[in-house]
Amino acid sequence: MDSLIAKADAIQPLGKKRKLSHPKKPKEASSTDRTLHSVAKHTSVPKSFSKLPEAPATYNHIANKKLRAELNRHTAQATRAKALLEDAEMLLADEAGKIEVEGEMERTWRVGQDEIAKGAGQEAARGRREWKLDGGPYRSRYTRNGRHLAIVGRMGHVATFDWMTGNLHSELQLQETCRDITFLHDQSHYAVAQKKYVFIYDRDGVELHCLKAHIEPTRLEFLPYHWLLASTGNSGYLKYQDTSTGQLLVEHKTKLGACTTMCQNAHNAVIHLGHQNGCVTLWTPNLPHPAVQLLAHLGPVVSVSVDPSQGGRYMATAGKDGTVKVWDCRNWKGAVRNWTVRSGGDVELEWSARGALAVASGGGVNIYTRPSIHTPMHTKTPPPLYLTHPIPHRPLTSVRFAPFQDILITGHAAGLSSIIVPGAGEPNFDSSEADPFENKKARREKEVKALLDKIQPDMITLDPEFVGSLAPPSKLTTGTTVDGKPATEIPFARLPRMERLKVSGKADETEENSEEEWLDDNGKKMSREERERRRQRGKGKSLKRYLRKQRKNVIDPTAVAIRKKLEKQRQEKERARSAAKNGGQEPRKPSALDRFKRAS
Amino acid sequence: MVKISVLQHAPEAHLPTRPGDPTPTSRNLDPLMHPFARARERTRALNAAKMDRIFAKPFIDSLEGHIDAVEVLARQPGSLTTVASGSWDGGIILHNLSTRNKLVKLPRAHKGKVSGLCFAEGDRLLSCGVDRNIKLWSTGSNASDQPLSVFSGKSAFNSIDHHRSDPVFATASNLVQIWDETKSAPISNLTFPTSTETITSVRFNLSEHSVLASIGSDRTFTLYDIRTGKAERRVIMQFRSNALAWSPTFPTTILLASEDHNLYTFDIRHLSTPSQIYKAHVAAVMSCDWSPTGLEFVSGGWDRTVRIWKEGQGHSPEVYHTKRMQRVSSSMFSADARFVITGSDDGNVRIWKAKASDKLGVITARERASMEYRDSLKDRWKFDTEVNKIARTRHLPKPVYQASKLKRTMLEAQRVKEERRRKHTRAGETKPKAERKKVVIVEQT
Repeated sequence: MDSLIAKADAIQPLGKKRKLSHPKKPKEASSTDRTLHSVAKHTSVPKSFSKLPEAPATYNHIANKKLRAELNRHTAQATRAKALLEDAEMLLADEAGKIEVEGEMERTWRVGQDEIAKGAGQEAARGRREWKLDGGPYRSRYTRNGRHLAIVGRMGHVATFDWMTGNLHSELQLQETCRDITFLHDQSHYAVAQKKYVFIYDRDGVELHCLKAHIEPTRLEFLPYHWLLASTGNSGYLKYQDTSTGQLLVEHKTKLGACTTMCQNAHNAVIHLGHQNGCVTLWTPNLPHPAVQLLAHLGPVVSVSVDPSQGGRYMATAGKDGTVKVWDCRNWKGAVRNWTVRSGGDVELEWSARGALAVASGGGVNIYTRPSIHTPMHTKTPPPLYLTHPIPHRPLTSVRFAPFQDILITGHAAGLSSIIVPGAGEPNFDSSEADPFENKKARREKEVKALLDKIQPDMITLDPEFVGSLAPPSKLTTGTTVDGKPATEIPFARLPRMERLKVSGKADETEENSEEEWLDDNGKKMSREERERRRQRGKGKSLKRYLRKQRKNVIDPTAVAIRKKLEKQRQEKERARSAAKNGGQEPRKPSALDRFKRAS
Repeated sequence: MVKISVLQHAPEAHLPTRPGDPTPTSRNLDPLMHPFARARERTRALNAAKMDRIFAKPFIDSLEGHIDAVEVLARQPGSLTTVASGSWDGGIILHNLSTRNKLVKLPRAHKGKVSGLCFAEGDRLLSCGVDRNIKLWSTGSNASDQPLSVFSGKSAFNSIDHHRSDPVFATASNLVQIWDETKSAPISNLTFPTSTETITSVRFNLSEHSVLASIGSDRTFTLYDIRTGKAERRVIMQFRSNALAWSPTFPTTILLASEDHNLYTFDIRHLSTPSQIYKAHVAAVMSCDWSPTGLEFVSGGWDRTVRIWKEGQGHSPEVYHTKRMQRVSSSMFSADARFVITGSDDGNVRIWKAKASDKLGVITARERASMEYRDSLKDRWKFDTEVNKIARTRHLPKPVYQASKLKRTMLEAQRVKEERRRKHTRAGETKPKAERKKVVIVEQT
C-alpha cells in the first residue's frame, strides 16, 4: 500500500511542484552527442519541427487551466499555420501577366491589342478574338473556372461553349427578348432571363424549368456557395430561388421601381442593385429591407460591380450621366474616386480578380488598375489609364473578365470581342474551388461536394466572418444592477424574481402611488421634501399598504380589484370636489329615461 | 520598348501526362480564393455531427443462454474473444464474442446465484456463489462440467478476484479472504478491525498487485495490502457502492459505482474527496468497468441504461438502451476497447460498440482520413450551438427521461431552498458545501 502511494508520487497532479530527486545532468553529456553531430551535418530539421514564432500569451487572465491550455494550443497552432502559409506561396507555379514600359514617356495604354497579341505566346494570343453575330447586343458570362462561356443576344440567340477548345455545347434561337444569362453551379446548367420568365436549360440546351415566379427578369446572378439564383426585373422585385431544392426562397420588394442593374459580392454573397433614382441597395435573403441603401448618383444607376481582389471591399458604380464612382464598402461616406466618362452611352463596369477595373462606354473599353483605382482623390480626374481598346459597335452592353485568364470579353451590338489584358487574371487556381482543367469525374464529384457544403441562405450577412465568432450576450441575462452590485452576466434562472419578471415583460409596472397625487397646484411635480411634508398619514393606509406589499408580485386579481376600488374612491372624491366647486350642485346622474329625451 | 507577358497555364502541368493518370491538382491557399471558408466548414461540421448520429447503431448482438439475470461478467486476460458470464440461476457460460457461440456451458455450476467470476492462469475459471463454494473450472480443450477443485467457505461469497501474477485469489463474504489455489482453506483473512459489514465486491490493483480494495454494505470502501495482511484505509460514504474498478493506466485511481446514481473516481492518496463525480444515471449504478485504455469506462444501472463515460468528464455520457434490456447488473469493456459487453436482468448478454457510430470491418485509408477529418471538425465546432445540439442530443426511453427531468427539478428545488435558507440566516453562518465534499463522511485508518 505504502509502496503504491510512494510509487504513485511519480504521477501526482501537475499543479504541484515536483521535487527533482536527481540533480541536473552535466551539460557536456548533451553537447558531445556524437550521433546528433554526425546527423546534423547532413540534414536539416523539417520546417514543421523548426522553431516558429510562438503565440503571445494572451490567456493568462483565464482561471480555468484546461481552457487556458486549450486556447494557448489553438493560438500556437494558428500562428504556426500562418507562418507556414507564407512558405506555401513558393509553391504557386504560375505568374501573373504584366506590361512593363521602360521610358518615362511611354504609356501602357499606347500598346494596342495587335502588339499585345504579338507579344504574348501563341497559346495566350487565342484570347484575342472577334465574334461577329447577329441579334445583338450581346451579354456574356463565364463559369467560375473560366473555361466555359455563355452568350445571349437581345433577340434570343443563346450559345454556350468551351471557348478554349471551341467546343459548342448548345445553341438556341429563342425568338424572344433575352436580357441576361448565367451559368448555375457549373457548365451543366444555365439560366436565361427571357421576355416573361426565367428559364433553366441544361448543357445541351434542353429546357428544364420555367421559373414563373420571376416575372420580366432583367438581370440574373447565381450565388454558387448558397445555390441561389437571384433575379431582378421590371417589376422591381428581387427574388431568390434555391436551385438545389427548387423552392422560391424569398422575394423582396425593392419599392424602387424597375431594376436593370445587379451584381453580387462574391465574398459575402450580398446582392447589389442599382436603381432608377440613383440608389444602390445591398440585399440579403434574410432582411426584408436593404442592408445598405445609398444614394450613389443623380439619375439612374446603370452599372454596379464589386472588387473581388480586396475581399469585396470596393464597389464601383456608374450613372446614366457617365459618372463612375468607386466606393469603400466599409464606410459609405462619399466615393473614394469619381470621374466622368465622356463618350456617350451607358457605362458598363467590371472588376477583375486582381483588381483591374474595366469601364466600357460608347466608344470602347478602358481599363484601370490598382492601386490608383483605390486611392482616395477629391478631384474628378480619372485614374491613370492602363489599357484602352476602341470598339466601334455601340452600344457596349457587357464586360466580363475571364477567371484565371488575362482576357476581357465585351458584348456589343455586332457580337462579342475579347481582348487581352495582361495582369487581370489570377494566375494560380485552386483545384478544390475552380479548376479550368477539370475532367468529367472531377466535375461530378465537385457537384456532390458543393451540394453537401451548401451554406444555408440565412447565413448571408454583410460580414461573412460572423460564423464561428463569439456570440452576442444572451437575451436571458440582464444588464441591470442587482443589490447594488455592478452589472454582471447572471443567468436568467439565478436572477431575483422581480428582475426575471421585468426581463420576460410580466412585471407589474404600475406605481403604487399614482403620479397625479404628487402634482402641485401648477401641475408640476413636487420635490421630495414637499412630498414628505404633504404626505397625509393614516389615510387609506391599509389598502395602499397592501398594494405596496403586493407590488413585488405579478398582477393578481385581488390587487387588481383593490386598485380598482381605490380608483373608484378617488374618482368619487374628485366628483365631490368638483360639485363643491360648482356651488353645491351635484352633477345630474344619468337616468334610464334619458333615451326618450329629444335631442336639442 | 515594352515588355509584355500574358498569363498562360501550361496544359502539361495541369493535365494528366498519360491517359488514366490522375489529374494533377493545384493549391492556392490565399484566403481570397476560398470565400465562405468558415461557413462551409461549419456546414461540414454540421453534416459530420449528423452523420455521426445517423450511423450510431451501437447494438451488435445479444447472447442468450441464461435463464435468469446475468450477475457477473469476466473477460479472459490475453484473449479478445472469450468472456464468461454467471447468472442468478447458478449457470456459467463461456462465450466467444466473434463467433458468438458458447464455448462452455455449466448450467448448474452453483446452487443459487453465481456471485463472482474470474479467470486464473492457463484457461481456468474461478467462480464463487452464494452456496458458500468456490469452484475452479477448466475451460480449455479439456473442459468438463465437473470442477477441478472446490473450495468451501463458511459464508456466502459475494465476489472473487484473482491476483495478477501469483496463484492467489481474494474473495468477499463478511470478510475478505485470501486463498491459495493449491490450498483448500484461506491463507489469510483481511478485515477492518471494527467492521461488521458484508463485503460486496473486492478487486486487486492492476499494477501494484498486492493492494486490493473492497466495498461493503455499510457504505464503506476499504483498502488492504496482502503483504501486511491488514486493512489500511477505510472510507465511509453517504451511500453504499455497488461496484468498483481500478484504473488500468492510473494505478492510484479507483472508480466506484454508487447507490446514489453517481459514479466517483477517487485518487487513493486523497480519499477525503472524490477526484470527479459522474452524474447522469437516474437510478442506482450497478456495475462499472474501465476501458483498457483508461480513458473511458462503462457503467450499467438500475435505470436500464448503459452509459459510456470519458474519464474526467462528469456529465453527458454516451447512453445505450433497448426496449428489451432490463436492469443492467454487469458491464464490461472488451480487451481491445472497441466493444462493451453488458449483462442484464432479462438473462441476456449484449454486445455493443464502444463508439456508437464506429464502422466495423475493413476501412480504407481514404475512409479513415475522412473519418478523422470529420472527428476533428466536430471537435473544432463543438462550441457551435447547432453542432453541439446534434452531437449532444440522445433519445432516452420515456421513463428515464421523465426520471431525469424529475431529478433535475428536485435538485434545483433543493438548491434554491438551500440558497434561500442561507440568504435568510446570519451572514457567514452557513457556507455552501462543495458537492465533492459531501460524498465522504469519514476517512479511517
